Amino acid sequence: MLAGLLADARVWKLKGASAAPPRPVWPTGRPALDAHLPGGGWPTATLVEVLIADHGLGEVQLFLPALIASQREALGQTPWLVWIAPPHEPYAPALAQQGVDLRRFLVVRPASAIEALWAAEQALSSGACAAVFLWLKGGDERWLRRLKLAAEEGGALGVLVRPDRHRFESSPASLRFSMSREDGTLRVELLKVRGGRPGSIDLDLR
Amino acid sequence: MPVYARSRPLWYAAVFSPLPATGSSPEPLHRLAMRAQRFTSFVSLEPPGALVLEIRGSLRLFGPLESLKNRIDADWEEIGVRARSAVAPSAPAALWLARAGEQALIEDPAALAAALSHLPIGCGAWDAKRLERLRAIGVVCLGDLLRLPRAGLARRFGADFIDELDALCARGPAPRRAFVAPELFHERCEFEVEIDRTAMLSVALGPMIERCARFLRERQAGVRRLRLRLSHRAAPATRLTLGFAGVTGDARRFDGVLAEHLSRLTLPAPVRSALLASGPLERLSAATLDAFGAAAGRDAAGAHAGALQLIERLRARLGEKAVYGVSAVAEHRPEAASRRVHALRLVAAPAADGLLVGEDVPRPVWLLQEPVLLAPRAAPAGDWRVEQGPERIESGWWDDAGIARDYYVARHAHGARLWVFQERRSGGWYLHGVFA
Repeated sequence: MLAGLLADARVWKLKGASAAPPRPVWPTGRPALDAHLPGGGWPTATLVEVLIADHGLGEVQLFLPALIASQREALGQTPWLVWIAPPHEPYAPALAQQGVDLRRFLVVRPASAIEALWAAEQALSSGACAAVFLWLKGGDERWLRRLKLAAEEGGALGVLVRPDRHRFESSPASLRFSMSREDGTLRVELLKVRGGRPGSIDLDLR
Repeated sequence: MPVYARSRPLWYAAVFSPLPATGSSPEPLHRLAMRAQRFTSFVSLEPPGALVLEIRGSLRLFGPLESLKNRIDADWEEIGVRARSAVAPSAPAALWLARAGEQALIEDPAALAAALSHLPIGCGAWDAKRLERLRAIGVVCLGDLLRLPRAGLARRFGADFIDELDALCARGPAPRRAFVAPELFHERCEFEVEIDRTAMLSVALGPMIERCARFLRERQAGVRRLRLRLSHRAAPATRLTLGFAGVTGDARRFDGVLAEHLSRLTLPAPVRSALLASGPLERLSAATLDAFGAAAGRDAAGAHAGALQLIERLRARLGEKAVYGVSAVAEHRPEAASRRVHALRLVAAPAADGLLVGEDVPRPVWLLQEPVLLAPRAAPAGDWRVEQGPERIESGWWDDAGIARDYYVARHAHGARLWVFQERRSGGWYLHGVFA
């Protein structure tokens, strides 16, 4: 009877789910934000989508504490950071100043959106990256689904930065939020939080 | 005498001017030395820009002395290298004559001293100090020097100097080290049948890749590049360069990059044969191997290999220039304080090398390629305001790109945090970076 129970696919599925090692979560460094996120921080092995109307709102700052911690704590597991198609040239003094290990930092400049998506898929699934950032103007759902699968395979945090106008399109990202700024406060609007609480958070981020 | 003369060495010297000063390997002089090996088995380097060839044995093959010399001279001309040359019974004498620009052909050792006597002592590539001391005692040309009493010269300049002069005049031995060409992997493979599909090609090339890896393993060496040439019956050859992120001899990485290239390759015609050639071999040492792996054990080494494979795959498809790192440079000018790094030094390099700015000095994550003019004169009103500053940056006065700027952190009405500066000379305001 027990054997019959164990043979039941649903039980196996459930067991498999609970036995899976917990994915590491990187605290954002902002308790108000952590409180809304499952596990209390940025998830890994999945895709996060950031929607912004304009660059320079603090979209990188929001992730930097997690990036630096992931590089430090992965200890020799080659925690590479890969930035694909950033809107401007990443400035080494600023990154080094904040604690990013530039020896494991890679910039990729693809010639087209398709190549950018391909590069992101490669980096996410390689198992060599702590986080992969992709700045993208478009991108269809089929491609984004591939990126999410690649992130799940490689265990990396995938961050997709897109213009705010994509907010009403459906997206496979397990965490989606938009950023805006009003008088010195940064508003993070959590549109979709798998396993957490959607909502709006005001952060005191410069 | 004739019997003796036939067994005596005879030297051809070529002095190149100027040699293309590339930082590439193999060095230009090595490349010329490899080329010169078609004339003789004994080629010797005379850095920085000369070669000497022992050509006594070559006379039988290439005919009388004069035509042999003309032939070697013509060979330099053919590859567009300017060379002055001379032939003499001693290597240093041939070099002296070549540097003096004399197209001399001297076979008889007895005639050598007389032929050299009028050469200025500057043709000897001696150091400035020695030349100065010689001039001080009235020596202008080699003849003046050879006339001086040997005992006195030995006292002043040392016994080695006398040996050097004897060697120059072919009266004493002047041992030279022969140039040994660096080893390369170079293999050609004719296919049993013509191959018209890239999938088949990758199978067909497998054994050659494997042999190349074994060749490297036996020499404990690796390469940064492999060149593959595919020959077709009715089309020009297809050439591929397989580039690796660091020195490697690993067949799996060769396969990985090759597969990426082949997946995008459209064959113009079926392939009849393939040529695989390595770049210069480099020793696999602790420095070229992987530092993370050495420090952190086998798991990390595996993960690091994954990172290298990722970089290679990205580069194979997107191009070498499209995948790079950044590094901070100790420069006051903000635009010069960061640079792209294509030769990824995955090893050494302290994390914050060349960092000049402290932790509390604001620096933006994005730097614009060129500062963008916001307002030609006074501070612009309206859509942005200053939040922090100024930070005065003045530098570069020693070159043409000197700057005098006051940097501020500003906030755009839409919320973006900007790095702007006012140029002190013109008073103009520029956007230079974005805090993201």
